Amino acid sequence: MLGGDIKKMAATLLHHHRSTPAGTPAVDPDVVEQEKKFVAAFSDQTHVLPPDEIQQDPRNKELGGKSRGLSVRDFELVRTLGTGTFARVWLVRLASPPEEEDRDKVFALKVLRKAEIIKLKQVDHVNQERQVLADVAGHPFITTLITTFSDHDSLYMLLDYCPGGEVFSYLRRAKRFDENTARFYAAEIVLVLEFLHEREGVAYRDLKPENLLLDAEGHIKLVDFGFAKRLGNSKATFSLLRKFRRPKSVRGGLSVFGIDDAALIDHDIDHDKGETYTLCGTPEYLAPEVIQSKGHTTAVDWWALGILIYEFLTGYPPFWSASPIEIYKQIVSKPVSFPSEPAISPEAKDIIRQFCTVDRSRRLGNISGRAQRVKEHPFFRGIQWDDVYYRRCRGPIIPPIRFKGDAQCFDIYPDEKLGRDLYTDDLRAKWEDKFKDF
Amino acid sequence: MPGNTFPGRLGTNNPFGITGSGENEQGGAGGISRVVEEDENDTIASPTTPNFNGAFGGTFGGDGTEGPPSSYKGTSGEGFPAHYGMGRRTSVSAESLNPTASSNDSWTPPFHPKTPDQVARLKKSISGNFLFSHLDDEQSSQVLGAMVEKPIPAKGIKVITQGDQGDFFYVVEKGSFDVYVNSSGTLQPGASGLGDKVATIEPGGSFGELALMYNSPRAATVVSAEPGCTLWALDRITFRRILMDSTFQRRRLYESFLEEVPLLSTLTRYERSKIADALEMQKYPAGTTIIKEGDAGEAFYLLESGEAEAYKAGTEHPVKHYTKGDYFGELALLNDAPRAASVISKTEVKVATLGKDGFQRLLGPVESIMRRTKYETSPETAPIGP
Repeated sequence: MLGGDIKKMAATLLHHHRSTPAGTPAVDPDVVEQEKKFVAAFSDQTHVLPPDEIQQDPRNKELGGKSRGLSVRDFELVRTLGTGTFARVWLVRLASPPEEEDRDKVFALKVLRKAEIIKLKQVDHVNQERQVLADVAGHPFITTLITTFSDHDSLYMLLDYCPGGEVFSYLRRAKRFDENTARFYAAEIVLVLEFLHEREGVAYRDLKPENLLLDAEGHIKLVDFGFAKRLGNSKATFSLLRKFRRPKSVRGGLSVFGIDDAALIDHDIDHDKGETYTLCGTPEYLAPEVIQSKGHTTAVDWWALGILIYEFLTGYPPFWSASPIEIYKQIVSKPVSFPSEPAISPEAKDIIRQFCTVDRSRRLGNISGRAQRVKEHPFFRGIQWDDVYYRRCRGPIIPPIRFKGDAQCFDIYPDEKLGRDLYTDDLRAKWEDKFKDF
Repeated sequence: MPGNTFPGRLGTNNPFGITGSGENEQGGAGGISRVVEEDENDTIASPTTPNFNGAFGGTFGGDGTEGPPSSYKGTSGEGFPAHYGMGRRTSVSAESLNPTASSNDSWTPPFHPKTPDQVARLKKSISGNFLFSHLDDEQSSQVLGAMVEKPIPAKGIKVITQGDQGDFFYVVEKGSFDVYVNSSGTLQPGASGLGDKVATIEPGGSFGELALMYNSPRAATVVSAEPGCTLWALDRITFRRILMDSTFQRRRLYESFLEEVPLLSTLTRYERSKIADALEMQKYPAGTTIIKEGDAGEAFYLLESGEAEAYKAGTEHPVKHYTKGDYFGELALLNDAPRAASVISKTEVKVATLGKDGFQRLLGPVESIMRRTKYETSPETAPIGP
């Protein structure tokens, strides 16, 4: 019954998008074929590049570009993998793959509805997500943006498929993780934050078990960059400008447009300050400076990592209540306290307390040494950081994946409600320009 | 009022029904039957005794016999907080605002005059509230000034309605208000649609504060309990802009001050912004000795407003005069030598200050920063050495 509904859903969605809006130029079929080849050639199982080379790698430069010809019609929607407040992520495969062997290749397609994005005032966030993901393509622990496209109603982000499902699901099922398991995931996240903060100048701002997926080998992939924001102050600010000034091109010499120069320059001037002010995140994981609107920096991610390790080890976050206001009162005023059961090691308690320090001039990760100081904390004693980065150790949880494209590790989600907001001509006239990067 | 409808977690319009309020059957699946049906007893596996593997080595469900994690049925079992909702947590977001100073807008906060008594009452009402307790004097007076009077003439008027989107925070000036909660999460039609009365708010009390953070559905309905009530109202955008603009301006001011300090000239932009982030603002009345000759130097100061003068023992006249943007005491970052002069405020002053320990926590040993280039003290720029 369920499968039938989803197929019907997919059919409706496809049907809906079959009508091409008037005035849209016809797409060159050769372009579409080339881009399909590019998509089919994507494989996440390539060797891991050192952080220095991620941005230089020619393959990574091709990733995350804007497609010229692809549309949702080129994909078969298999099932929903997750839903957000204005987005839905589908497991997809190429509807008519260039080669027979590409038939079982699967991807994740994030569909964002323009009308909802506007209504929820998330236009800036969506553009930031798109840009940050394109910049970081190729990091071993971050979801890879392959390409983006759009149609009249929706924006689409084609991402690698991460078959292990959410760490959230494993955590709730196990109730809590032991310290080795928590340490394994925490170590991979430390490397992600080091890369995002120190190389990219990006604050992630929504760390939580729900946003960590496992790949087939049990390694972390950070997903949902909806709140990620470039804050400047990074080594990458200038190299990034160079990167985008060159048009992106995919294999076979086909040009895929990068981001508009002028837009990017504006963007960088606007974000060249080290802090930002928009309140966003998940209540239990918000840092005190976010709650109190003091202007926040990448330091919020280290606070959240403290909350995350606590939740890994106990099964619930340190500050919780049915009422968000009560959570916020606790966060700004109450030190983290630990239950007597389960027993938590002094090293784990210490790293949690050092991350969850209200004073940012004392918060681990934000103080001198930054991520390096985190890596040297006794909680991580004995960790070979190179081995972590190059994924030389097996993950503590190996997802039970039976075949390529198996989605049994994901929950089943209800169908989309009908009667969603329409992207009217008025909205289009006012907002369409803001979606031009897709 | 711009209405952001980003669903909060108590969202009645959250299509996936996660309320985070003690519901056990969550897991994000919203009541849909799952692909893999498992024996309920089997779904909480062993990991409460969590040594299921050695250092990074073992497997967990690796052979698939334990089933995929999606078959988990959320239950808060023993050893867990009784009411912790185990479902997926929804992200929240306010509308993104850009600081006025960076966008060429000329926004000034609205100002609604109030009597000194009214201001005093309002101050008292919000003094213990975590959203206001950290505001400085200027932010506080701007926020109080922006609060607008809202007469509620009759009894039985719904000021906020459970389930509706919220944009305003209210303080009761006069009269009283009853709070009702319907367990369904929204106001229902009919006589009992209000739900249960859970509280009464008297003058000085307040409600709706979550609306100052982001847009989310109201958790209760609030109704005037008598005729002739008065409220003060404050909307989220105004509140957040006041806080953002003043913080933004202060940060830029501190950064530009720091650029002028020769001792700190080798700091990168990132490091300056770190220090600006950590500087603490202090106010002193005229005639205060801010640093004292002979004392051990522990902190440096940037003069944000007002005037101050440096005196040395044995000299009658000030040896140096400080105005906005000047700095003193920065040699304390470098060595433990006693202050070479006293600095006394001439008018009321505002200073931004950071101790040597804070500086070192953020940037490491000062000596290594100094080593980047030799710190030369020329007669013109030489601070007199406090």
